[in-house]
Parts: sequence; structure tokens; C-alpha cells
Amino acid sequence: MPDSNIRRALVADSIARWVIIAGGVFIIISVIAILFLILHVTWPLFQSTKAQPVQEFKASGSQPAVLALGVDEYLETAFILDNTGSIRIIDLETEQMIDQHRLYSARQDSHATITGIDSYDNYIYNVQWSDSTFTMEAVKTVVSFEGSVRQINYEFQQLAAFPADTLLGIPRQTVARQSPEGGITKVSLLADNRFHVTQELAETNLFGITTTTTSTYFIEDELPGDIATFTLDHSGQTLYAGTTNGYLLRWDLREPDVPVLLDEIQAFNDGRTTTALALMLGDISLVVGDETGEVSIWFPVRSPAHNNQRKLHRIHTLTAHDSPVIQLLPSQRHKSVLSLSQQGDIHFDHMTSGRHILTLENDPPVQLATLSLRSNGLLTYTAKGQAVLWKLENPHPEASLKAFFGKVWYESYDQPEYIWQSSSGSTDFEPKFSLVPLMFGTIKGTFYAMLFAVPLALLGAIYTSQFMYPSWRKLVKPSVEIMAAIPSVVIGFLAALWFAPIVEGAVIPIFLSFIIIPLMALVAVLLWQSIASQPSFKQIEKGYEFILIVPFILVGVYLCSWLGPLLEEMFFAGDFKQWLFEELNTRYDQRNNIIIAFGLGFAVIPIIFTIADDALSNVPRSLSAASLALGASRWQTVWKVVLPSASPGIFAGVMIGFGRAIGETMIVLMATGNTPIIDWSIFNGMRTLSANIAVEIPEAPFNGTLYRVLFLSAVILFVSTFIINTAAELVRQRLRKKYGRFQ
Amino acid sequence: MNTFWRQGEPFVWLTATAMTVTLLITLTLIGVVMINGLGYFWPSRLIELTLTDGTHVMGRVTQEDTMPNGSGKRLQLKVGNRDLYGMDFRWINGSDIHDQTYPVDAVAVERMEYGDFYGYLQTVTIPGLLKPPADPWDALSDTRRKLRRKEKELEAINAKMSKLNYRQRQIRLKRQKLEYQKKPHVEIKKLTDMEVQLGQAFEEMLVTHNQKIEELRRYTATFADANGQTKEIPMVDIVRVYRPNQMGVGAKIGFYAGKIKELLLSEPRESNTEGGLFPAIFGTVMMVFLMSLFSMPMGVIASIYLREYAKEGLFVQLVRIAVNNLAGVPSIVYGVFGLGFFVYGVGGSIDHLFFPERLPTPTFGTGGILWASLTMALLTVPVVIVATEEGLAAVPQGIREGSLALGATKFQTLIKVVLPMASPGILTGFILAMARAAGEVAPLMIVGVVKLAPALPLDANFPFFHFDRKFMHLGFHIYDIGFQSPNVEAAKPMVYVTTLLLVSVVLLMSMTAIYLRNSIRKKYQTGAF
Repeated sequence: MPDSNIRRALVADSIARWVIIAGGVFIIISVIAILFLILHVTWPLFQSTKAQPVQEFKASGSQPAVLALGVDEYLETAFILDNTGSIRIIDLETEQMIDQHRLYSARQDSHATITGIDSYDNYIYNVQWSDSTFTMEAVKTVVSFEGSVRQINYEFQQLAAFPADTLLGIPRQTVARQSPEGGITKVSLLADNRFHVTQELAETNLFGITTTTTSTYFIEDELPGDIATFTLDHSGQTLYAGTTNGYLLRWDLREPDVPVLLDEIQAFNDGRTTTALALMLGDISLVVGDETGEVSIWFPVRSPAHNNQRKLHRIHTLTAHDSPVIQLLPSQRHKSVLSLSQQGDIHFDHMTSGRHILTLENDPPVQLATLSLRSNGLLTYTAKGQAVLWKLENPHPEASLKAFFGKVWYESYDQPEYIWQSSSGSTDFEPKFSLVPLMFGTIKGTFYAMLFAVPLALLGAIYTSQFMYPSWRKLVKPSVEIMAAIPSVVIGFLAALWFAPIVEGAVIPIFLSFIIIPLMALVAVLLWQSIASQPSFKQIEKGYEFILIVPFILVGVYLCSWLGPLLEEMFFAGDFKQWLFEELNTRYDQRNNIIIAFGLGFAVIPIIFTIADDALSNVPRSLSAASLALGASRWQTVWKVVLPSASPGIFAGVMIGFGRAIGETMIVLMATGNTPIIDWSIFNGMRTLSANIAVEIPEAPFNGTLYRVLFLSAVILFVSTFIINTAAELVRQRLRKKYGRFQ
Repeated sequence: MNTFWRQGEPFVWLTATAMTVTLLITLTLIGVVMINGLGYFWPSRLIELTLTDGTHVMGRVTQEDTMPNGSGKRLQLKVGNRDLYGMDFRWINGSDIHDQTYPVDAVAVERMEYGDFYGYLQTVTIPGLLKPPADPWDALSDTRRKLRRKEKELEAINAKMSKLNYRQRQIRLKRQKLEYQKKPHVEIKKLTDMEVQLGQAFEEMLVTHNQKIEELRRYTATFADANGQTKEIPMVDIVRVYRPNQMGVGAKIGFYAGKIKELLLSEPRESNTEGGLFPAIFGTVMMVFLMSLFSMPMGVIASIYLREYAKEGLFVQLVRIAVNNLAGVPSIVYGVFGLGFFVYGVGGSIDHLFFPERLPTPTFGTGGILWASLTMALLTVPVVIVATEEGLAAVPQGIREGSLALGATKFQTLIKVVLPMASPGILTGFILAMARAAGEVAPLMIVGVVKLAPALPLDANFPFFHFDRKFMHLGFHIYDIGFQSPNVEAAKPMVYVTTLLLVSVVLLMSMTAIYLRNSIRKKYQTGAF
């Protein structure tokens, strides 16, 4: 019987042993795995793009020549336009033709062929026919659902047709755009290097009747060279052109009949020919391809050299080709552009992040390429008449180390800057993912908070551990520890809704108190010394200074509030905020860094205090007793003996407080304006990494770039606090070893 | 003088100053919260001011200060009557005041909508009563008492309706599932019929419900503001009506107690700025409870492993440092992790496996109380580990050896000897973890806290616990009403009350923890060496 008992106990013991070991190791590993899981989410940001050929089929023989291709956004069907104006729609799975359509159907009898074609968006074509007619044709894919079965249909629409104009002859190139309002602008480059503009302005009056006014005119400006290529923006209001000798030109066509030449700049000093022009998504940036194979991004920037007028400026230079650029395809999804060179190489680059997404060097060389609407597919047409469909896996083109940490020249900005602006209402918005203003805000907030907290906490800890009367110490220390438990949301609320309005009316008294309250301590000690010799006061033992000082502090506070307005009247013309704005050009935000310094500082005081107090109390009494016995005063003992011994522990406390301040969320979220600006002024707010996560992550689409960038900022927070805490912890453990033997 | 500086007495006083300033700041903060939080429910007197232009203003004095240009005093009054004036507060210059009185028959009305009404009771309209009653105040109190019974009936109907609604929803989800699984039409048809039936029952009830409300709304009371502008208020919309200027201290205390009861037990009104905090209190408690279920065993097992089973060495040392550090990792990082791992990872997988028919509407793939509790559990595990380890370390080695020497196995020693002795330390860890979880807001904002949850995560409908539901939380309540409500000034008192509640709960817990910790330190101090 006892035998079985023992056996049972032993079995239970070994089971428990294994359960505890397995459980313990599992829990510890899984808790530590947090970092790796967060890292795992951010990882795709830095993954390179994958392009895989998924389909290859014969597009045509040698005749008729293929001029354009398209693919729907689900990559299920493709179409091929050849020079007879015929469009064949091909099912990509079966490689069979499923439909056929002829453009320019108004004149079925015509045997006109296409002599020039230009395309924009997905998929609108400017078609020049051999009989001098010019048409605008739109090919649309319409996706419909029958239950859960997807159906892709094609619609063809002729947006405009311009009959041949015998007066002008056959233009070298024609580009037309239909504005969202419906008006059409057509620009033709004539043989004599002049532009001819036809503008249809559609205006809808009060009664809903649309009238179209057409104006035609020539652009007669003297040009620096022969126009090589040109393009129009979507509204048809700005005309860009590149010459054969390295010039870029820009006209404003907003006023009918009065074209204004805005830009005439020598873009390339070596006089190279511009071979391709296109406008990036959003119509602000111009992408320029030239005969040397270079691809560059330009947009107008306010330039001091030209009376602060906006002039085209080279902003980004993308990866260069070895041969002239022949085609530029801006993505309709994000700010990236696909460029095709004469040798048939394809480059895909994102302009903001400067990230080179993809190079495809093909054999046989690619002659034509097209991007799907969602930029998830690429259809190429090779010299051998083969069409190849590439699947692109490119979820985060806007992410790069440069975009996160470098200065980036964003659209419509006058110089490169660090900006955080993750979203906006429009789809052609350029997301600005610079983490620098957020890291700056974090450091700024933490710095001022530490400036407030460290002296108070350390001096307080010195007093409590060394000078305070021991029975009081037992009361004071736990109450400071309890301060640490006050939820940060409470501190944030009080800082923002109670303290901020007070500070707004009392900036000067607050600053004054930093001088006056220490002065009051001096006054107190002088007074005390003069009366301490009286026999009746001898009774009061040392260690009660902190109570005796209370009236002095209260008087000091009163003095500050009384002197503050007087000083404000004397030096700042009665209104400090006004003075600040006029003299220093600094705006006073109600929720500013002073508030944060107090709020965040208050939150970390107990942490620093507790650790510093522990470190100071752990310094062996024998050391300070020896010092006192040798005749040192109590301050001399603390300053020369106790503090040096405890300094690593104090340092650890400051570090841990620093780590806590970096990650604090609610206080900064509530008591700053959450404006991501870079400004050291204590009268302005900021946005910290942690508050930014709290503000933005509820709106961030799952696995989108913003979502992953926010995870990245969480990683930064995690890693920085981890390093700080580890350093502090190591210091503390060493300290413990060093003084352990004294106890 | 030189010795004066060298001896450093001023520096000692400087350190004392720092200590005192810290304590004073703390006391001030707690004082601010206490005064604002406790004072809010006290029914202060209504003042009626006659202004120099002949108009009257009635309200409660909320602030008094000097004019911005320094000429005389000004008063801030809470004038209420938001539906008549458009705003709750009004500044009145001292120079504009001609006369002030505290009229005894001034009435304050707490309403379901538009905040308070201050004025005079004029008359009461009771259906079936031709002549207006002689004493409208008594009639109002009487009728309100009688209406309570009818309101109870209405509440019963409401409860039935929500039950019907819930069942209808359950059946709809079931039908969705069957449709998704392509089950035979007969079954689906049966469910559809049930759905229709329930819908009809619901409609019928709605009709009676609306009739009852209609009937109730015919009982009205007409009030006039200080300038004689009248307002007819249906009695069902009146939460509370009282004449503060007539109330004695006893009545005021009774009133105060009633308000506290409302605060703790009823639902919030007017986008959380009035009424009670019950759902927030409940949500907080339930989240903390669930969190404890996860984090306590995890923390205790991990620390037992570290202290009792693992061999001391580099690995354990590293783990200990890592665990210590995890306690210092920003809470928002845990929130981000919870969102990525629990909500989208685990929750998304659960949705795909078990509720594919409801997609893209998420069931578990969105924030909810379960994910919030798990996230908080992760956040508090290091706290529990550190405290438990400290508790275990405080048990003298000799006691363990004694037990082992008597023939007990290691596990028996652990269960019978070490753990009971370490229990105050473990308890400290639990309490600290719970206090941390109750006060932490940032991660919760990401993983499932909402400003207004339509239903509690625990109710009478099967399966009683609804882990997928979103919940309300006291800390988030502070953030929400203080910073995201349309009328921050009017919401402020409520924020203070919530703050007071949260702070007292958290501080009470921490004090207990610290007391326990100090007591075990004392207990084993002598035995340790």
C-alpha cells in the first residue's frame, strides 16, 4: 500500500516535472516570439517583387502588325489591336479568340490602316488612320457577376472622330485627351514644328443643357529645337513636349486661343533627344525617357531664380536603360512607371520610394508592353510575335528604406522633406511614409519629459533614501510606488483637459517656478540655520525638511502667480503668446510640449524614483557610516560616497524611465495635437510613433502598406525599448553582484 | 559662508524640495480628480440672475473668475436647456448682473435628451383630466409614480422584442450556413418560414410597443424657463425632476446616493456623457477576469519552471532578462501584436474554418473581448512572472531541503510547501497584473474596445458568453468622452467621475498588492539567511 502511494507520488512528480518544463519553455518562447511575429508582418515591405511568366501564346504572324495590347484586371482575357484596326479578344486560359471587333466602324468600307497610335489609361487610344482621320477609341472591360461566376465583357466606344484636315496636312503626331467633364483637347504636331490645338469645352448651364464650344489655334511660340515627342494631361490643359536637343517645354492651355509657354528649360546639357513622355498617376509628375536610356521624373517647383514661378525641375532619376527608351507606362495604381527600351528591356520603378521594382531582360526582345489596371499583370509582345503574360507580385512598391528614413521630394513640395501623411481622400494621392517626424516627435517628447522627471525623481530618491526620517520613509516610498499605478489615460486626460488650459494662461509663472521654487529652498535653509541654534528647535531631528519646506513651496507658487503677470506686462507687452508669435514667429499650441513634459514626466517619475531609491538604499550602510565617522557632512557623504557607488543603478533607473516614456501612448495621444512636424519648440505639439500607431491602425487596411509600416514602427519601438531595458538590466545585475557581498 | 556651501546643507534642502514637489503634484492631481468627480452629483442651488437689460438667466454657477481684461468678475453658468438655447454654458459679466435670487420653486429636470432643463413647472397635462391640477408639482410626482408601472410593461415588451430579434438573427445565420453548404431546400425553407414568423411576431409587438409609447407620451409636463419661454416635456423623457433650492441636506444626500446608484447600475445616455457606466464597468471587470484566466496560470507555470526546475545558467539568466524587459515593452506594441496575431491571424482563420458563410463580415476576425483579454494576458504575463519569482525566491532554501529530506517528491514539496508560502507573492503579482490591465487603454483601442457596445459580452442568450462581442472599458470611456464627444465641456464632469472610479479601483488594488508584498518581505526576512 505505501509502495503504491510512493509510486503514485513519483509518477505525479515526473508528470508534473515534464508539464512544468514543457509549459514553462513554451510560454517563455511564445512570449519572446512576439518580436518575430511582428517582424514577420513587416517583412513583405522589403521583399523584392516577383514576376512570373504565366502564359505565352502566339499573338500574330508577321502581318498585320500588332500595335497595342491590353489585359483585364483579373488577368483572364487579353486583347490585341493590329494595324488594320481589328481587335481580337483572347481567353488566356484556352488561348482561343473569343470575340473580334473593328475600330473606326463608321466607315466599314474604308481600308484605312493605322499609321500612328498613342494610348493612355486603361485603355484609351489616339489613333491616326492612313486616310488622315483621327479617332479616339476606348476599350473597356466590364466585370459582371452571375452568382459567384465572374464574367468579363468588353465594350468599345469611339469617344471622338476628327475627319482629315487638308489644310494641316498629315500631322507628325496627334495626342488627344478627354477631360472628366467631357471636353476633348486634341493637339497635333505639324510637319513645320508647330502645334495645332483643337479644344472642345463642354459647359453645362443652369438648366442642365450642355453646350460645346470649339476653338482651334496654333501655338506659334519660337521653339528652341525640333519637337521629338509630347503629351497632354488628363484635363487637356497642360501640354508637355520634349525636343531633339535636350529641352523640355510646358504650355498652359487653360485659356482657349491663348496658349502660355510656362517652361522652356534645357533639361539635358548634352542635348539628347527626348524619346518618350508620360504623366504619372495624378498628373503632377512628368516622366521623361531619352535616347541615352535615362528615365527621370520632373515636376514644376517654385524657383527663386524665376521670381518664385513654378518651373520644371528634375526630381528623381530612375534606373537607366542601355538603349533609348521607347515606351513609358505609368501605373494606374500607384506612383510607379514601367519603361521599355529599344533593346526590349523592361524596368519598373516607383518614383517616391525610388525603388527599382523589377528588371526584365528578355530574349526575344519585347516590343510592346501593357500593365493591367491594378498593376498586378504585365502583358508583353515580343519580336517573335509571341505575347507573354507576367504575373507581378508587387504589394508594397512605395516602401523602401529611403522612403521611411530619407528625405524625399514629394509631389508639389518645393524641396525634399521628411513628411508623414499616410492617406487622403483621393486615389491618386502620393502616400508619405517618412518615419523621421514620428521618431523625432518621440525623442522630443521623451527628452523634455526626462528633463522634468529626472531631477525631481533622482533628488527625491536621494532625499528619501538618505535623509528622510525612517518611519516617514516607510510611508513615502509606497505612495510613490502607487503613483506608478495611476493609469496613463487618467494622466493624459488631466494633462489635456485640466492642465493645458491652466498652462495656456500661465506660461510665465510656470517658467518662473523653475527658478523661484529652488530659491525658496535656499531661503528656507538660511532661515532654518538661523533659528536651528535655538534650543527649542534642537528637539526637531533631521529628516523632517520635506515637511518644513511645504509652506515655502506654497509661498513660492503664490509668488510665481503674482510675479508672472507683472513680468509679462514688463517684458512681453502683456501677452506672452502674442509676443511669441510676433517676435519669434512661433505659434503657441494649447496642447504642446510643456504639457507633455509634465504629463509624461509625471508618469515616469515613480519608475525612476523606485529604481534609484533601491540602488541608493542598497549601498551598504558601512560605507556611509565610515564617511560620517571621518567627519564628512551628510551631504558630502551622499555626494562623494553613496552616489558614486549607486550611480550604475541610478543610470539603470533613468534608462528604464526613458524606455517607458518612449512607448507611452495615451498621454501623448491625448495631450499633443498629434501633428507630425519637426520642430524643437516646446510650444508646439508633435506626434510620436506610439500615438501614430493608435491613431492610424484602426483605419489601416489589413496587410496594406500602411498596416505594415505601422508594424514597422512597432518593431522600432520594441527594439529600442528592448535595447534600453537590457542595458539597464545588465547594469543592475552587475551592481547587485558588486554590493551583494556587503549584505 | 564657505563651510555652509561645502557642508551642502542647501543641497539637502533642494532634494527635500524635489521630494515635496513630487508629492504635492500627486496630491494636487488626486485632489482635482476627487473634487471634480465627487462634486458633480451634488445638487447645487439654482441661481436666477436678472440682467441689466431686463432678461433673466437661470442656472448653476460652474466657474467664477476675473475678466480677461481685468475689469471685474464674471460668472460661468450652466444654463442647460440645450434645445432652447443651443448651448449649455454661458459667461455673464459681473457688471451686467442687476439682481440675483435663489427661487425656491426653481425646478431642475434631467431628461433623456438635450441635457438638463432649468426653469419653473407650469402645468401638467394628464389625458382624461379636464381641469389642470391645482398643485402641478404633486400631480407631477403622483403621475410619474403611476407611470412607472406602465414603463415597466414597456420594458418587458422591449426585452421580449430584443429576444425575438436575437432569435431571428440566429436563424438567419443558420440559414446562411445551410445555403453556403448547399443543403436541401426543404431545410432552408423551414428556417425561412421560421424567420418570417418571427418577423411577424416582432412586427406585431412593435405595433403594441409604439401604441404604448404613444399613450405614455400624452402625459406631459410644461415648464417655463427664466424668461417665460415654455417647453412641454413628455413625462417618459424625464429621468429625474427636483427642486434643489428646497432640498435639505438629508434630501441632497439621498439624491446623491440615487445618482451614485445610477452611475454604477444603469446604461449611458446622450452619447455617454450622462447616465451610468454599467456596461463600461462590466466590460472592464469581465476583460480583467478573462485576462486573469489566461495570464495567471501561464505566469505561475513559467516562473515555477524558471525558479524551481530550470538549471541556473546562461539560458535562464537570458530568459530572466528578456522577461524583465518584456514588462517594459510599450503596451501599444502588444496591441499591434494582438491585432496582427489574434484578430487577423487566429480570428481570421477561425472565420474561414467555421463561419465561411458570413464572410466578408467578420465574426472572430475583428476586435472582441476574447482577443482583448488575450492581448492583455500577454502584456501582464511578465508582471506575474516577475512577482511570482520574487515570491518563490523569498522562500528559504532550507525549507525546501527540509521537505525533500523528509521524503517528499519535488512536486509534493512544491504544492504543499513552497507554493503556500509563496502565495502572498503570487497574489501580489495577480493584483498588480489586474491593476495594470484595468488601467491600460492603448492596446485595447486596437483590439476590441468600442465607445458604445450594443450588447454585453455576457447575457441570457445561449451560449451566454459571447467572446466575439466588442465591449466597453472605463479607461477608453475617459478617452472617448473627454476627447471625441461633440460637447466636451458638458462631458467633462462625467469624465471626472469615470476617472475617479477608475483611479480608486486601480489604486486600491495596487495598495493591496504593495501591502502584501511588504508583509511577505517582513515575514521571511529573518528566515532567509
